[in-house]
Amino acid sequence: MRRYWFGDIEGGACSGAVRDTAALVERYLALTEEGGQAARALGPDVEEAVRCGCFADRDQYVAILREMTIALAEEEIRKCFGKGDVELAQMVRLLDELDEVINLLTEKSTEWYLVKNPAFSRKYRSCNAKKMVGIMKRDRTSLGRVAGEVDRLSATRSTLTKEISHRADILLPNCSALVGGLVAARILARAGGLSSLASFPSSTIQVLGAENALFTHLRAGSPSPKHGIIFQHRRVHNAPKQIRGRVARVLAGKLAIAARIDAYRGEADEAFLEKAQAAIDRAGETA
Amino acid sequence: MKIIDGTLVSPGKGGVYGERTLGEWRIWDPYRSKLAALVLKGVDVALDSSVNVLYLGAANGTTVSHVADYAGTVYAVEFAPRPMQDLIEVSRRRTNIVPIMADVNRMQVYEMLVEQVDLIYQDVAQPNQAAIAAHHLKFLKKGGIFILMLKTRSVNVREDPKAVCEASVQHLEAAGLVVETVQWLDPYHRDHAALVCRLPEE
Repeated sequence: MRRYWFGDIEGGACSGAVRDTAALVERYLALTEEGGQAARALGPDVEEAVRCGCFADRDQYVAILREMTIALAEEEIRKCFGKGDVELAQMVRLLDELDEVINLLTEKSTEWYLVKNPAFSRKYRSCNAKKMVGIMKRDRTSLGRVAGEVDRLSATRSTLTKEISHRADILLPNCSALVGGLVAARILARAGGLSSLASFPSSTIQVLGAENALFTHLRAGSPSPKHGIIFQHRRVHNAPKQIRGRVARVLAGKLAIAARIDAYRGEADEAFLEKAQAAIDRAGETA
Repeated sequence: MKIIDGTLVSPGKGGVYGERTLGEWRIWDPYRSKLAALVLKGVDVALDSSVNVLYLGAANGTTVSHVADYAGTVYAVEFAPRPMQDLIEVSRRRTNIVPIMADVNRMQVYEMLVEQVDLIYQDVAQPNQAAIAAHHLKFLKKGGIFILMLKTRSVNVREDPKAVCEASVQHLEAAGLVVETVQWLDPYHRDHAALVCRLPEE
């Protein structure tokens, strides 16, 4: 007996044939699960499948096969995207792009504003970018409209930041507890996904985001980078310069463990977190 | 395949990816598709409704849609989820495409879905392209054609493309194929060679 995706063929007769897409998918998964060449045959001779009465003709064979493979592929895609880590990574990338766009637009429109108002100067009025946008918004030409758009984009940006942080708290409970949702999400985005982050050694996590410095170090022997994205966490960037490397190293070590708990268990581990937080704080103490 | 005034075309309903059309014909851009480049370089590929195709590395279904315009059944294998979304959409409207989401390095999950075909077309960005090709020969009928779009830079960026190509040709011949044509795809695609091979009758 040879077992095919649509049924079994023995001595020119077909038995156990299934038609329903869901049942076909189930049969296919069972056949591939069983593994081993013995359980299943190579792709069938379509003419034989038609001859033994499983299908009316070749067109019907292909039509039913397509329905099944499309259903399988859709399920597979859902599995890939379903955990939400891929979406979170995309949200972080969009956030970074928003920052870029907001900065560019603010810069260019400020240049225009300065030319338009020769008497205006930003000196001595603590005029940061946000205030500048506020001033430009009062302009009644396109300049003011652009400033208005920048303002709206900034509001969207802060909403998006909150969303990212919130999602990271759910998806990466342990990592988020150590470095905060936004930084955890940034690390995830750079790693590409939760499963690949969980497979990284801590030394990789430590310099994730400092690839340029790392490869310059490897190629030309410049000093090695001490921290990448994790620099954005307060315990790293607030630490005195001499011990920042140590804090970053300890934090990365704990993050590597946290990422694995997040990936394979998916819930916060209070006992681990308590010990990890204490270890990171200890690394930040000046002797 | 049909060439109208130097433009390669395929018959079918347009609008798959914003391609331009010439009447009933869809224009097949050699800069986007390596197979189109190969044909325009003068190597004609016999493709008609009697030819069933196994297509490895189907990506977004751009070239697949043109192949499906000419060929019989096309088994299109793709691994990445994002392009697969597009490929499924393409195969919903072209009923002779069977989309399969799988890794070409792990054929045990799809070998039972694919019949013996007349043509295998492979366009994957993997370092072991020649080995992948050799593994898939069991799906090829005797006398069938294997077209390997060799991305030399995916095999080894530091090695000379010509040397990579020679090594791949040797690998394929050792696997039992006869390499009939080696066609570089400049200026359409840099450092890409099309290896057109035949599996001998005996």
